[in-house]
Amino acid sequence: MDPISLIRQTPPGMQALGAGNPALQRAMDAAGQGTLERIPESVMQQLSRPAAGHIQGAGGPGTASFENMLGGLVKDVAAKQAQSSATVNALLAGKDVPLHQAMIASEEASVSFQLMVEVRNKLLESYQELMRMQV
Amino acid sequence: MLNLIPGIESTSSALNAERIRMDVVSQNISNAQVTKGPDGQPYQRQQVVFQTVLDSQLQGGATVQIPTISTDHRPPILVYRPGHPDADPRGMVAMPNINIHEEMVDLIASSRSFEANLAVVKSARSLAMQTLSIGKR
Repeated sequence: MDPISLIRQTPPGMQALGAGNPALQRAMDAAGQGTLERIPESVMQQLSRPAAGHIQGAGGPGTASFENMLGGLVKDVAAKQAQSSATVNALLAGKDVPLHQAMIASEEASVSFQLMVEVRNKLLESYQELMRMQV
Repeated sequence: MLNLIPGIESTSSALNAERIRMDVVSQNISNAQVTKGPDGQPYQRQQVVFQTVLDSQLQGGATVQIPTISTDHRPPILVYRPGHPDADPRGMVAMPNINIHEEMVDLIASSRSFEANLAVVKSARSLAMQTLSIGKR
């Protein structure tokens, strides 16, 4: 998606849309004055970053980092589970582990697992939404 | 590491500290009648001192710890019991400087603050779970 063509088409009344994003606002102002060519490179990078973050094209540059992020999440959840089971085992083995620490560890593991499940549900949902699309 | 339950670090340390405080109170209560400790002296009351520790992982978040368990140096309570083996020549026995009412009040305060910290854990957990349910349909 090309942000410049989007901005060129933006009617003056729609400029309030960019209020949340100062870079977008500046770009819109510049577009209104016909000075779009003079927008610095840094602003353009700022503009294109959110688009790249939201729309992950298959094989695009964002894919690797997105994969890494998901892998990191799964690894974190696995680490929490391992820590929880280690703490509970230590408690049951009579080591000097307070009860609340074991409970808190297992709660943390359960909450992070729930988060992982929710993320997976969301991803699957959007995939199925795409698959249902009429061509 | 992802931190999903807010404030769990300080709460966990506070729970630990309260647990130690309860240990010390129960030690005081159970030794309230001991006239001869390992050093030959009557038992002396122990008390905990809480201290704030700044946790660098929490970006300045404060956790609680008990650096030392200090001894209460109030004088022992003298009771007249001439037949007691630990009595001095005047028949006075030095009993520990423990007031059982004081210990009970300490125990109540300690269990109430433990409960308060548990309530924080519960509420933080349920908030996290409710936040996750945003994604549900």
